[in-house]
Amino acid sequence: MNGALELPGDVKDRIRELQELEKRVEAGEEGARRELRRAVRESTPMVIARCADVSGKSRGMLSEAVSGGRPLIKEALEAKAEAMRSEIAGEDPTPLELLLAEDITNQWLVQEMLGAFYAGQFQRREHKGESEHKGATISGIAFLLKMQESAHRRYLAAIRELARVRKLQAGAPAVQVNTQVNILGSG
Amino acid sequence: MAWEERGGRLYYYRSVRDGERVKKEYLGRGELAETIAHADETIRRHREERRAQEMAEGEILEDLVAPALEVREAARVLARASIVAAGYHRHRGEYRRERGA
Repeated sequence: MNGALELPGDVKDRIRELQELEKRVEAGEEGARRELRRAVRESTPMVIARCADVSGKSRGMLSEAVSGGRPLIKEALEAKAEAMRSEIAGEDPTPLELLLAEDITNQWLVQEMLGAFYAGQFQRREHKGESEHKGATISGIAFLLKMQESAHRRYLAAIRELARVRKLQAGAPAVQVNTQVNILGSG
Repeated sequence: MAWEERGGRLYYYRSVRDGERVKKEYLGRGELAETIAHADETIRRHREERRAQEMAEGEILEDLVAPALEVREAARVLARASIVAAGYHRHRGEYRRERGA
């Protein structure tokens, strides 16, 4: 992986610590929730700031890849991603909502990038003046499809996460919709 | 695909898949067998080159996706930790407010 674009070690440690604390709370350990609250309070600004750094650079790389080096397309994509991010974050978002909006935008861009690459696999390329077919092999296509599926799942998971955070932040009760269907007899 | 020696002479054979089984196909010797062997070798080399190229492209794609994956994981953990810290617990995949939290 690109070392320059990894989350720093201390951020990864904080993330692991949060995961462990969450497990302890779920296991019903006394005092663990208080500890988790403190850890969330202390870690959130730092984790979000580092994620924003990585995320911004990652978006640049993904846009570059989708655009195939065409500056106008790259600029348009970045503008679209930025508009999408701020629209999803909405007015006056919490730092966590901002991070999740950023995450959704990234996952969308990953999908775009993989889609563009996939489409490219079916094109004939001109190579040194000769027309040479460089279509993907079956295993290559399978690999790409798997990556696309995972990307789509992550995109949906990110959307679900933001919706859940918003719902729980608002303290809204879960909505259950029951539908009754009456089927009349023919007689 | 191989040249096999039989009675001091080389004969060209190639492996052909037939459903679950792989069969050996006899192509003989002489100019025609050599031409077929040369064509098979060219096809094999092209396939290998394409596979190597695909692997390299796959690695590039994974490198491009990796930072977004890291941010996804961090966001997921932070979101869940925030929800649990706020007094919820998970019940069959759904979050419920803890009594007295």
